Amino acid sequence: MAHVSDFLKPSDLQRITNLQVLARQVVEGFTSGFHRSPHKGYSVEFKQHRQYVPGDEIRRLDWSVFARSDRHYIREYEEETNLRSTLILDRSGSMNYAGTSAGGVTKYEYATKLAACLAYMMVHQADGVGLTTFDTQIRRHIPPRSRVSHLRVILDELEKGQPGGETDLGDVFHELEAKLHRRGLLIILSDCFGEVASFLKALAHFRHAHHEILVFQIWDRDELEFPFKTWTQFDCLEQAGVKHLLDPAMLRQTYLENLATFRDSLVRGCRRHNIDLVPFCTDEPYANALAAYMTRRLGRR
Amino acid sequence: MNFLNLAMLGGLAAGAIPLIIHLFHKSRFKVVQWGAMHLLSAVLRTNQKRLKIEQWILLAIRCAIPLLLALMMARPMWQGAAGLLGERPTATAVVLDNSYSMEAGHAGTSNFSLARDETQRLVGNLRRGSEAYIFLMGEDTGLLDEPTRDLTRVTQALSKAGCGYGMARVPRALEQVAGTLAKMTEATRQVVMLTDFQRVSFPRTEDEALGQALKRLRKLPAPPTITLWDVGVEAKENVAVESVEFSKLMVGIGQKVQLRANLHNFGDSARPDLRVTMKVDGREQGTSQVSLGAKSQGQVLFSHVFDRAGSHVVEISTEADAVNADNSYLASIPVREQLEVLLVDGSPGATPDDLKSATGFARIALSPFTAGKVEQADLIETTVVAATDLRASQIAGAAVVVLANVATLGDAPLKALEEFVGQGGGLLVFPGEGSDAAWWNGPFAKVAPLPLGARAGDLKEGAPTMGVLSQRFEHPALEMFNDPRNGSLAELALKSWFQLKPPATTGHPTDPLVMARLANGEPFLAEKPFGKGRVIACATALDSSWSNLPTRPVYVPLVQRLCVSLASNVYPPRNLRVGEPLVAFLPADAAGKTAKLTLPDTSTVDVPVVSQGARGVVEYKLTQRPGLYTLLPTDGPPVHFAINADRAESDLERLSPSEIQAMAKSHGLQLVHSAAEFKALENVQRYGHELWRWTLLGLLALLFAELLLQQKFARGGARS
Repeated sequence: MAHVSDFLKPSDLQRITNLQVLARQVVEGFTSGFHRSPHKGYSVEFKQHRQYVPGDEIRRLDWSVFARSDRHYIREYEEETNLRSTLILDRSGSMNYAGTSAGGVTKYEYATKLAACLAYMMVHQADGVGLTTFDTQIRRHIPPRSRVSHLRVILDELEKGQPGGETDLGDVFHELEAKLHRRGLLIILSDCFGEVASFLKALAHFRHAHHEILVFQIWDRDELEFPFKTWTQFDCLEQAGVKHLLDPAMLRQTYLENLATFRDSLVRGCRRHNIDLVPFCTDEPYANALAAYMTRRLGRR
Repeated sequence: MNFLNLAMLGGLAAGAIPLIIHLFHKSRFKVVQWGAMHLLSAVLRTNQKRLKIEQWILLAIRCAIPLLLALMMARPMWQGAAGLLGERPTATAVVLDNSYSMEAGHAGTSNFSLARDETQRLVGNLRRGSEAYIFLMGEDTGLLDEPTRDLTRVTQALSKAGCGYGMARVPRALEQVAGTLAKMTEATRQVVMLTDFQRVSFPRTEDEALGQALKRLRKLPAPPTITLWDVGVEAKENVAVESVEFSKLMVGIGQKVQLRANLHNFGDSARPDLRVTMKVDGREQGTSQVSLGAKSQGQVLFSHVFDRAGSHVVEISTEADAVNADNSYLASIPVREQLEVLLVDGSPGATPDDLKSATGFARIALSPFTAGKVEQADLIETTVVAATDLRASQIAGAAVVVLANVATLGDAPLKALEEFVGQGGGLLVFPGEGSDAAWWNGPFAKVAPLPLGARAGDLKEGAPTMGVLSQRFEHPALEMFNDPRNGSLAELALKSWFQLKPPATTGHPTDPLVMARLANGEPFLAEKPFGKGRVIACATALDSSWSNLPTRPVYVPLVQRLCVSLASNVYPPRNLRVGEPLVAFLPADAAGKTAKLTLPDTSTVDVPVVSQGARGVVEYKLTQRPGLYTLLPTDGPPVHFAINADRAESDLERLSPSEIQAMAKSHGLQLVHSAAEFKALENVQRYGHELWRWTLLGLLALLFAELLLQQKFARGGARS
């Protein structure tokens, strides 16, 4: 199914600085083809009747039952099951990479815009959405809310933050787990660089707490294909002073193999813990991210 | 190592280009702020060392490519150790085939002139200060006596060199060149043989000798390079007068001499009417036409009667063809007016005419016209002397001495006789009643052909006689009796004879030869060479006392032939092959003077007359040139010497190209066919082999290696 947003490349949307505008464009473009309104999902399903006891709200009396049977009954509904999502955004230095094919969009920018779109959509679906940003530690934690005004808070935070510093996914995630009181959907926006084992261990920890986890792994095309030809000095984004001067052509093959191993171990680990790992490249439309979220969201029903 | 295009070596600087590019790239690197450092670091950690090595290998190969390209364009030459000597003067020995087969050629240019021109050019191109030596194979001698550094002199001498000489003997020539080369001082030596590869010059039988000669050349302290140069073209059509045969006996005035010329057509086409001419002393005396098929032989017979004494020259020639040297054949025929025969009588009669004396019949038989008071001239003039009166001076004046019934001779006459025979005189010995076996087998045994045995037979009337065995006679004196019309020795009946002890054959050329045998197998006539002369002994007496010999018709020709045959040996041979020394005997009073010798090219040389015994002797050894040599003594008639070349050269057939190749290969010789080829070969020898092919191969190999390695390295560290 084609969406308007399919044609909105990250590079096109780069000029839209207001995240809310961007998110609205993307999300409404994306959802315009969906027949199911997010409001329809508002839970009004009847559960049971019970005898009125003093203290119950008068307005919840079922007057039609009273008319028939002259007794006071309270109408009980099934509780509203709003989704509590937390967007976990990686603000480490490696996210600051902007490749040649992405038109100057850094992975972090891509990730924030993606996060904005997701938050917008979630709020508009009356789902609760929170935001946690981190690098070596948690920088900001906004618990999930479903109010529309809450979206403002999240978008402000997204616009404010700048990436920098190293990544340590494992420790950060363990720390975060303590702050998430209720189980919900965790959407991790990160390049997942770092030690695979500790990352997977942290994910397992989340899973243990019955969180649903969706990992949006943000890649740059350069990182996937290593297209460098000429002599290049690679300066480390996370650790100042770490640099390598080399002939990339000589290394490309080995690098790609190393990359494949890394990705493979991530995919295997995620699958083991029933975690969705969705790789994204910064030159891909945001809509794909939303589609992935929607699939997950519907699957939860 | 040498370079033909030295300027191109400047291109070696191009070797720095890849290095510069490498450094340029390395210095103009791009900086990337990289996130996925953990992926890159892992790669670098395990591969850094290998990467460095691989980079250096690639860089080395890339630098080597322009280096090799520049090297290739500079045309390198490899010459090994020889290269150090390349620019130095050389010692060059040229073996030039000037055998008369080289006279053949194509379109008016003889093969020899081609070879000579090439040699001149070769010598002219020699480096300054080089030694040169030209060996003329046909003459078997050097063009100049010694090797010289005066190359101009060599080229001048070469321009005068001619063809039409003797035969090419390759092994012999190479042996001589090896000897000369050993005397040359330059260390870089070469032997070049220019020849027409005539089949007869390279017979299979001489292959070993050729190998030996080459071995000797290669064993020299500084072994030369040996090159065969195939010059000229094959011209097959050639007719040769192979030989002229004539009686070897003394020829007298008015006697008819028969000359038989053997002709050989070596060509592939028949000669139906070949004209053959005989010239005597330069005047044409007869012509004949003969038909010769392809590759066949024929004979032409001429006869001539000489009307005056002296030395005569007969030349038999055919029409001119490619090779002139074999178109005519010379024969020198001495014609004697008189032949002095000294009859030494052991039992002289009262008068010389006394038929009872031992020599009475012989005197008449030897000079029948004189005895018969007839006007005609006898060839033989006889002098009779009693054995007791014999003096040394009488012996020296004779051509043949006949001893008849001589019992003994005094020491002085015997010594004179020995000297006479030793210097080429003829001695005819007949025993008789008075013969003393003790003297014969004693002092005389040195000269006597066979020892004298017991006397046999019985002189009594009616006693059985002994005949002479009828056989085919090989001896020139008896050859005529092979024809019964000339009389037969079988008519002879011997009443008494001496048993001549048959010789024990040793195979030596001085062995006595039995010319004729008695019916019982005992020798009748035996001949022995003694010194330069010969001695013939008979088993029976010269007179009629022991046999019917004097009364038989065979008597006159027999004694005459025996005398003439012995006399024919008096003179040193006048028909010679090229290279054989020319010898003439002159009277003793000519000794110490000089005689003039006219050579075939009509030039004259003075030759000394040397005293030898009772004679003056002239000897001339430089007879490499065939033709007529005329000796003009200061007083006396001219003497002609006919020197003919070996006709083996007349067969112009060449070795086939494959045979030449095979021969050159089997002996490890280099073979060239043209000046260009020789030049190329010389260049290789002097400057070495061009290496650009190998350089190109190396270059291609490097290019491929670079490509493959780059791919491999880029794929490379997969196994990290």
